[in-house]
Amino acid sequence: MNIFSDIEPFMLRAFAVAVVMGPLCALLGVFVTARRMAFFSDTIAHGALAGIALGFLLGFEDPTWPMVLFSLLVAAAILWLKEHTDLLTDTIMALLLSGSVAFGIIVLSMLKNKRGELHRYLFGDILSVGPDDVWLAVLLCAAIGAWLFTKLSPLALLTASEDLAHVCGVRTRWLNYGFVLVLTVVVSLSIRLLGIILVTSLVVIPPAAARNLARNLRQQIILSLIIGLFGGAAGTVASYHWDIPCGPAIVMACIAVFIVSLVVSKLWLNKPAST
Amino acid sequence: MTHTTCSHSAADIAVSVRDLRVTLGGQAILRGVNLHLHRGQLVALIGPNGSGKTTLLRAIVGLQRPDSGDVRIFGESDLKKALPRVGYVPQRLALDRSFILSVREFLALRLRETQHWFWHRKRDTDDRIRAEMAELGAESLLDRPIAALSGGQLQRVLIVFALLKQPDLLLLDEPTAGVDSPGEESFYDLIGEVHRKHKLTVVLVSHDLSMVYRHASWVYALNGVVCCEGSPEHVMNADSLKEAYGLNVTPYHHHNHSHGPGGGTVQ
Ligand SMILES: Nc1ncnc2c1ncn2[C@@H]1O[C@H](COP(=O)(O)OP(=O)(O)OP(=O)(O)O)[C@@H](O)[C@H]1O
Ligand SMILES: [Mg+2]
Repeated sequence: MNIFSDIEPFMLRAFAVAVVMGPLCALLGVFVTARRMAFFSDTIAHGALAGIALGFLLGFEDPTWPMVLFSLLVAAAILWLKEHTDLLTDTIMALLLSGSVAFGIIVLSMLKNKRGELHRYLFGDILSVGPDDVWLAVLLCAAIGAWLFTKLSPLALLTASEDLAHVCGVRTRWLNYGFVLVLTVVVSLSIRLLGIILVTSLVVIPPAAARNLARNLRQQIILSLIIGLFGGAAGTVASYHWDIPCGPAIVMACIAVFIVSLVVSKLWLNKPAST
Repeated sequence: MTHTTCSHSAADIAVSVRDLRVTLGGQAILRGVNLHLHRGQLVALIGPNGSGKTTLLRAIVGLQRPDSGDVRIFGESDLKKALPRVGYVPQRLALDRSFILSVREFLALRLRETQHWFWHRKRDTDDRIRAEMAELGAESLLDRPIAALSGGQLQRVLIVFALLKQPDLLLLDEPTAGVDSPGEESFYDLIGEVHRKHKLTVVLVSHDLSMVYRHASWVYALNGVVCCEGSPEHVMNADSLKEAYGLNVTPYHHHNHSHGPGGGTVQ
């Protein structure tokens, strides 16, 4: 197709990753928002900065794996501290978030040749999405999407009530861990595209917009998937057309849908908007 | 008075709890509880606020880890195997208003059918959910989000949820708290009917002693330990209640019901 031949390959790669990660984040986001884990997602995203810095410090050219591992470590630390101390959850998260950011910035500033990386990871950089990243995103999306889909019922039940889920035979502890694991991996791998600061928006905005229009969970999930897909696609296209940064363009596309959904819900659905 | 030695065979026991101890916040809440519930009984669990009724039910279904003691459901100590046969209505269910799950979807979750609520509604499942809701007069709630229900409406939905899988054991923690009196009547009718249809065992926590008197076949009075147990006539007299509740409360009002020898009034 000659329309594609004009487009630079990095742009196509960004598009591919965006239309795959968009819906996946949006699906996860339905449960993240309902379980009030938006700040949790933000914390593990910021935790990634420390992982990236450590990766460079240890001499990795591509700090993807240290980044994912460190995010997982932060997630585990949140869960552990929550269970074993009397600290409030948001106190724990604020602590870990600022701690990892401070650590990441100090280490990156010490590594003279890596100072530019800070900006790149904070705000995302589609130039850094390589062909391997596209494959990773697609495989990951397929695997996690399939897992999530088989777990929709238990996850919905867990979100409604952990106690009822337990009595209905759901292994609540493992499902909780599984969910956090999947969320952490998806969030930290979306950082390439959206940047640490904006990545949570892809998890939060599509389900919130869908929530405005939906009357039940099924509708929210379907709408959220569509909005995530649209946001990812429209954002990358807009970024190419107007030569603006890709991550912010995706976020703005999602926000545009959110505003439309809010107006529609207020004017036509007669349904109070929330979250 | 502690548990009676049972003359029934082990297969006849629905729930057996032996020397169950639970400590919460440094306080010994359950201090060696013993229970042996026979199949097909409708057992009432009474006791003052904070006497550990909820804690006991939670321990039975594995929501509360005991310090020591042994719980068996249908002779099975492995909860994973026993839980599919259990329905449970918790005392309080904190639902998040931001979660949009509809009543219909919520009930379908009990049947663990993702495809039912995600892809398409299966006709027979849908009919069952509708019929069960209709029985409690709550059919109109089907498309409402569960988080937006009133306390009594939610309670009705939870009762339907607990009954949906046709459990052999039903644990109800103040199931009709907040339910209006027609709702309460139809609830007890429903329980009575299911009870007759198959040999369902029901454990009912209730502060409504007249209801207990009318419907229960066996009563346990709990206050950290089982203070006394027996038929409603036996337990619900002044002395036993004083032992359970600790002071001379007048908990049971006789409403001119035509039930058996009315030894239940506390004057
Ligand atoms: N998580 C907890 N931490 C500390 N103490 C607890 C906890 N849960 C319950 N308790 C205490 O355990 C005691 C028994 O509580 P429980 O809920 O079992 O009483 P109950 O008999 O169900 O009372 P009610 O009639 O009010 O429902 C209470 O004194 C309560 O304060
Ligand atoms: Mg209670």
